[in-house]
Amino acid sequence: MPESTTLAPPARVPVGVPPRASLWTINGTLLRWTMAQTGALLPLFLVVQALIAAALILGFGFLIPDIDTRTAQFLSTGAPTVLLMVIGLVICPQGVAQARTSGTFTYQRALPVPRVLLLVSDLIVWLVIALPGIPVTILIAQLRYGFSYSIDWPLLLGAAILSAIMATSVGYAIAVLLPPMLAQLISQVLVFFVMLFSPITFPESHLPGWFQAVHDVLPFRPAADLLRAGLLSDDFSASGRDLVVLFAWCALGLAISIRALVRRG
Amino acid sequence: MSTAVLEVEGLTRRFGSTVANDGVDLRVRAGEVVGLLGHNGAGKTTLVSQVVGLLRPHAGSIRVAGVDATVDPATARRCVALQAQAQAPLDGLTPRSAIEIAARLRGMSRADARSAAEALADELDIREWFGRRARPDGGGLSGGVRRLTAFAMAAVAPVPLVILDEPTNDVDAGRRRRLWQMVRRLGDEGAGVLLVTHNVAEAEQVVDELVVLNRGRVVATGSPSQLRGSSNQDLRLELSLHPDGSDPSRNEEVPFPIARRVHVGRRVLLAIRAEDAAAAVAWATMLRSNERIEGYALAPVTLEDAYLAATAADDAAVDATATATATEELADA
Repeated sequence: MPESTTLAPPARVPVGVPPRASLWTINGTLLRWTMAQTGALLPLFLVVQALIAAALILGFGFLIPDIDTRTAQFLSTGAPTVLLMVIGLVICPQGVAQARTSGTFTYQRALPVPRVLLLVSDLIVWLVIALPGIPVTILIAQLRYGFSYSIDWPLLLGAAILSAIMATSVGYAIAVLLPPMLAQLISQVLVFFVMLFSPITFPESHLPGWFQAVHDVLPFRPAADLLRAGLLSDDFSASGRDLVVLFAWCALGLAISIRALVRRG
Repeated sequence: MSTAVLEVEGLTRRFGSTVANDGVDLRVRAGEVVGLLGHNGAGKTTLVSQVVGLLRPHAGSIRVAGVDATVDPATARRCVALQAQAQAPLDGLTPRSAIEIAARLRGMSRADARSAAEALADELDIREWFGRRARPDGGGLSGGVRRLTAFAMAAVAPVPLVILDEPTNDVDAGRRRRLWQMVRRLGDEGAGVLLVTHNVAEAEQVVDELVVLNRGRVVATGSPSQLRGSSNQDLRLELSLHPDGSDPSRNEEVPFPIARRVHVGRRVLLAIRAEDAAAAVAWATMLRSNERIEGYALAPVTLEDAYLAATAADDAAVDATATATATEELADA
């Protein structure tokens, strides 16, 4: 009787470097992953944004007796900027700091994907979380003051997206640059700076000259002016310089974030 | 052509004055399961972090599936599937979606990802929780199911090198066995597997080769039987000492040859030949009746003995060098 031979099944693993999935597939998959982690809190974020908007528009309104239309417009059209800054500079860094502490950040950096896409998917999710704040503030302002908007849609959308990306990338950069505890602390301090010491919900002329000059290079006043010009295009305008300042901060935030993701310790 | 999927040569990585990896050489071939053993802090995770491009080596080379991982870490990462020691970020996901995501990131089609995830659910016996979402508060899925899901995420796609860092932590005995079977199958299907663990007894069941790291250096390497010793028939006589008791095998004449001696805490492990079993039991019984030891046990020699012997010998050598250096420094002073 001939000797019987059992052949091993063909190897499943190909020899050499496996092909890379398409960038589109990778981005979509990472988005699904990030959305599952952060997106579950989306309804909660909407409620929080509505509460902050109400605090700004109604609460600050109580501080000013016999509020005139101009002041009401400033408050109402500054509120969306405050919300974008809070999401980007406070909530995003807290999420990233937590991911660093829990090991998620390291885990994701070991994945077989271009690391820049980790940032892209994060930015998209934070954008999805931040942008509903704008209609929420418009709604609350309408109910309280009832003045009419003159919306310049391209400017409003462009300014909103740029401001949100700027705030999120700078927030991300803070979180990857500093130790997690310090990042969380600084992001808390930033809330007060944005709300009380930045000419977002009040005119710049209320500040001393030197502080106005500081705000010419910080991103908060330019973001507010651009968004305001998009919401009330008949009454307010923004300068090209504002756009340049926002782009510069955006580039800085992205550069630091990408470096932290890509570099090896 | 070399079939090595991981070739590490002279790898050195320091953290300040601590040398976490000190000229490490390591090779994993396709179809082979290699165990990387070592105590906590031996440098195992540092080595893995360099393979996947989280840390930059200070010296040496790493090639993954022929790709130079120090020069092109992004391409090298495509050749590696890693189950990290830390839990995978599963919050908000079900095991099904997490495994599918891992498959999709490696370019598997939606249908293939789905069917591969289904197959893994059965193989690892986690179907009961397959559609249950992990909650951020730690609820939803137990630590063991999270760990099995993370393992499945690393095993779902065909990849040249699979690195598993303590894959069985928190996993119950039944599923642990299934996991080891799968590790063996990954190798049989053509992947190289680097199994990082300090659980020597479990690793022994599945590995083809073992590399023992101690204080950042490779102190022993070989197949389990090579490491275990000259003969599989060797026995281990384990003496349990009294608190602060001395090792009787050093202080008096032992009526049989000792192949290897390891002193760990209050235990002394003596490797002896099978034919000396009766003499060994008589000697140990005498020691116990004289209250020189608390008790003894005789059992087949295990890989753990060899592992402890390799690391203990290295520690003793390092300590001796340190003492000698300190003595010289004192003499110089």
